[in-house]
Amino acid sequence: MIGQIRSEFLKIRSTRTTIGLVVGLIVLVLLFVLLTGLLSHGKELASSDDQLNFLGIGSFASLFAALAGILVVTGEYRFGTIRPTFVFTPRRWVVVTAKYAASLLAGMVFALLGQGLTLAIGLGILSGRGIHRSLSWGSLVQLGLGTVAAAALWGGIGVGVGAVVRNHIGAVIGVLVWVFVVENLLFGFVPSVGRFTPGRAQDALTGMSTDHLLPAAAGGVVLLAWSLGLLAAGLVATRSRDVD
Amino acid sequence: MAVAIAESLTKRYGSLTAVDGLSFALDAGTVTGFLGPNGAGKTTTLRMLLGLARPTSGRALVFDRPYAELERPALRVGAVLEATDFHPGRSGRNHLRTLAHATGVPDSRVDEVLKLVELDNAKNRRVKGYSLGMRQRLGLAAALLGDPELLVLDEPANGLDPEGVRWLRDFLRSFAAGGRTVLVSSHVLAEVAQTVDRVLIINRGRLVVESTLGQLTARVGGSVRVRSPQAHALREALAREGVDATETEGVLFVRGTTSKRVGEVAAASGVVLHELVTDASSLEEVFLELTADREIQ
Repeated sequence: MIGQIRSEFLKIRSTRTTIGLVVGLIVLVLLFVLLTGLLSHGKELASSDDQLNFLGIGSFASLFAALAGILVVTGEYRFGTIRPTFVFTPRRWVVVTAKYAASLLAGMVFALLGQGLTLAIGLGILSGRGIHRSLSWGSLVQLGLGTVAAAALWGGIGVGVGAVVRNHIGAVIGVLVWVFVVENLLFGFVPSVGRFTPGRAQDALTGMSTDHLLPAAAGGVVLLAWSLGLLAAGLVATRSRDVD
Repeated sequence: MAVAIAESLTKRYGSLTAVDGLSFALDAGTVTGFLGPNGAGKTTTLRMLLGLARPTSGRALVFDRPYAELERPALRVGAVLEATDFHPGRSGRNHLRTLAHATGVPDSRVDEVLKLVELDNAKNRRVKGYSLGMRQRLGLAAALLGDPELLVLDEPANGLDPEGVRWLRDFLRSFAAGGRTVLVSSHVLAEVAQTVDRVLIINRGRLVVESTLGQLTARVGGSVRVRSPQAHALREALAREGVDATETEGVLFVRGTTSKRVGEVAAASGVVLHELVTDASSLEEVFLELTADREIQ
């Protein structure tokens, strides 16, 4: 299993896909942090809720972690490397689980980068503009650690979805539609259900102050359940299907 | 000892039967040609052998076990199914390293196999820039990482230039010379006739012929051509072995045996040979006849 995880990690590192995702994440985070931080009126960054939203921009890392997780699996089907992969490791659950583990780690790295940059630049902007930091250290720590944990779990979600869907375009579009449309609609119209979606669970875990969210710990448990549930679905889907 | 066995192996996709009750055994130390026209079920059979596809019924065993139950199978079995199974953006060396990590083979072995397939100059380039021949060799390098006893190759000569085909033939010969086993599929008999000892010919998912190449040649009824300044002496020597030959202006046409046997007889009787050829075109005719669709619909 250790060897397979090393293998999967090398697969992630050895193509430009990952670099592309990291660059995309950094660009997006810089763009939003700088635009929000520099163009917003001082009053709009004053309350602790405002600052939480501002400094939570790094939560984008989760989406990128999910995309990376998807591509870790679907890339193998797309380019046919799944054949040598399964010929070398015919116990497919080992492959899928190793991809899951490697994607957890990749998700953490994404979050450390994205959230780290956001916090460093965001706090710098606040202090540079002389805006009082109204967010407690405790909230900042919860935001940082929560984002790292969430992005890790989203990396795993990506692997599960990728293993079920197999097609990279279908999986990526599916996750984007889910995150940007379905979750928002569900949470907007039926918050008692919508708060159990992985995105809102992450909001709860990272301490966002939106109404109707679950308690932080419950959010963490729900997100973990999504991640492990999709891993299980991916394991079942991979075990039973032929590889062309 | 059988290295790999198929027992009534069957694969159905809906109403289509791709492989139909196929049984065969691969003996250690042999090179077997797995032949049949496109769509005969060769690739499906190989996938079932390697645990990539599940048989509808019957079973395939490799070293007495279903492939998926082998511990670190790459140390015993090497396989190349498609020449295109690479991420175009990954270097050849990194492709091999991902597989080496997965099966616990050191990076030094990666560089060794790269040298073996003559790719060490291109190893750090991305596969995107490789020619088809280079990709075939990279696939072969991956198969060789674990120094396997059994090599399974699906249409390895596809898309190779004549030089590549020759390189592959020489390589397979030297691989098998060490007592190891090869199963190589092709839809062109001539491509593998000079390499294989045995042939399995399938058509429409069923076994049509399982024989040694010699038996198949014999079945053709006369396909070894020999040119010799001592043709007459050779003919007599062959006759003593019970092999008939006809002589025309220093050229013998020998029926019912193999070029290997004729060469041995010639050597034993001190006869000089100028040419010794298995007539591939007539072999090809037999192959086409065996795999022709004789059902009139």
